[in-house]
Amino acid sequence: MQLGFLVDLRLCMGCKGCEIACKVENEVPLSTWRLRVKYVDVGTFPETKRTFTPLRCNHCANAPCERICPVSALHYIENGIVNIDKERCIGCAGCVMACPYGAIYIDPQTQTADKCTYCAHRIASSMMPSCVVACPVEANIFGDLDDPTSNISKYIMSHQGNVQVRKPEKGTEPHHFYVGGGNIQLNPLASFRGEGHNLFNNLTHLPVGGHH
Amino acid sequence: MVHEAIAATNAVVTLDVALPGIVWGWIITMNMWAKSVGTGIIFLAFFLLKKYPNETGFIRFPVVAISIVFIHIFLFFTVIDLHQMFRFWHIFFHPHWTSAITVGAWMATGFVGLLFGMAYAVYMKKDVVLYDKLLGYTTLLAIPVTLYTAGLMAESTARELWQMPTESAQMILAALLAGTSAMILMGGNKFSDSINKDLGLVLGLSAFAAFILYMSEYIFGGMKAEEVAATLEFVKGGEYTVMFWIGQVMAFLVPMALVSLSLKNKSFYLLKIAAVSALVGLWVSKHVWLVIPQLLNMS
Repeated sequence: MQLGFLVDLRLCMGCKGCEIACKVENEVPLSTWRLRVKYVDVGTFPETKRTFTPLRCNHCANAPCERICPVSALHYIENGIVNIDKERCIGCAGCVMACPYGAIYIDPQTQTADKCTYCAHRIASSMMPSCVVACPVEANIFGDLDDPTSNISKYIMSHQGNVQVRKPEKGTEPHHFYVGGGNIQLNPLASFRGEGHNLFNNLTHLPVGGHH
Repeated sequence: MVHEAIAATNAVVTLDVALPGIVWGWIITMNMWAKSVGTGIIFLAFFLLKKYPNETGFIRFPVVAISIVFIHIFLFFTVIDLHQMFRFWHIFFHPHWTSAITVGAWMATGFVGLLFGMAYAVYMKKDVVLYDKLLGYTTLLAIPVTLYTAGLMAESTARELWQMPTESAQMILAALLAGTSAMILMGGNKFSDSINKDLGLVLGLSAFAAFILYMSEYIFGGMKAEEVAATLEFVKGGEYTVMFWIGQVMAFLVPMALVSLSLKNKSFYLLKIAAVSALVGLWVSKHVWLVIPQLLNMS
């Protein structure tokens, strides 16, 4: 079994339901996110549009975080998920430095690394990840990539040529796919980032790792 | 907003809450800097004791003392940077051998053990033969202890700026630079002119080689990878430009100039100024190179 994720960016409407569901399900502390939705505005007025890109751990087949972790706190489980043992983590932040997707953070409460686990605890109880359940337009498709009859496998087959991963040049072999995405959604360097131009200008952040 | 968009894509990020932050900061800089001194002085001690056995016997104890002090500074900053420092022992009881951190921790432990063996040999047992024998093993082990941080940086897949084998070369050169500087300052006026000349050459050449590497990356790095180009913007007019050049001047250019003057005029007092400049500048250079890739947004 190899679990994977696919997001159809043509369906996503940026409601952030997945983000909130993830926060609640996993008790993700303030100023940290296992899953977040990036907004990018494209075009020149009046020909403009806003794109939405949910970003989470890619559960790579060749995960740099798993490789760099000195104590195997980040490890593969049998269904292909890159899971984290927070009791074992020493908080060296090597994984934060290694992940090319910025998907790992230091939990300010536990002072350990944390990230999306595809809701491994829910999957163990035969439930879907909380973000999948919360999505009102079924933009999140989750399932077994090794099973050709699974929804995700069929979706990938029916959208061949339009399925992408983030930063394929890193050789991480992500198990997280996007349909309908483009350079501006998937390449962080393709969009301008300006200070003070976020939708929530007064958004404040705790220092990395909280009070550390 | 349009006038601020990247021309090619005309796209502006309007919301992305995961802003980049510096995770490895000055504590890790201290870690790398202290390690450079701790291992570098061992390299230089091995060299001097082989080449000038009759003139450099007095360095045996101070060298091992300095190395022990700086390796423990390195270990101290390594541990306090951990967000769960009291779980440090997990590295020894749950080791994951693909990680450069694990390999480095074990190597450093062996290195510390050998250093204490050398201290015992020279201070308690007064056994120079044993000391020199242990120094050979310690010098060998100092190589991977110096290099493991380069391995760690290479494993940091997200930070395109840190490339192998450049980082390995930089780590070895930093150890030679710092070790020579520490040796010059430790030796005071006790070294002969020929020893001072050798130390000056090692200092000047390691500074020259390290500067060449930095400049090569500065000029050409961005031509191969857009992430490197974006990272280097922080030192090309960005917020770390001044600090970067202060580091380059103090760590490499000033020592090169002072070593040249010193060798030409046989005024080895200048070597001490060069050594201080190199040690300060090395910290600054390493800090800038450590921090700037972390400022790049990953999403």
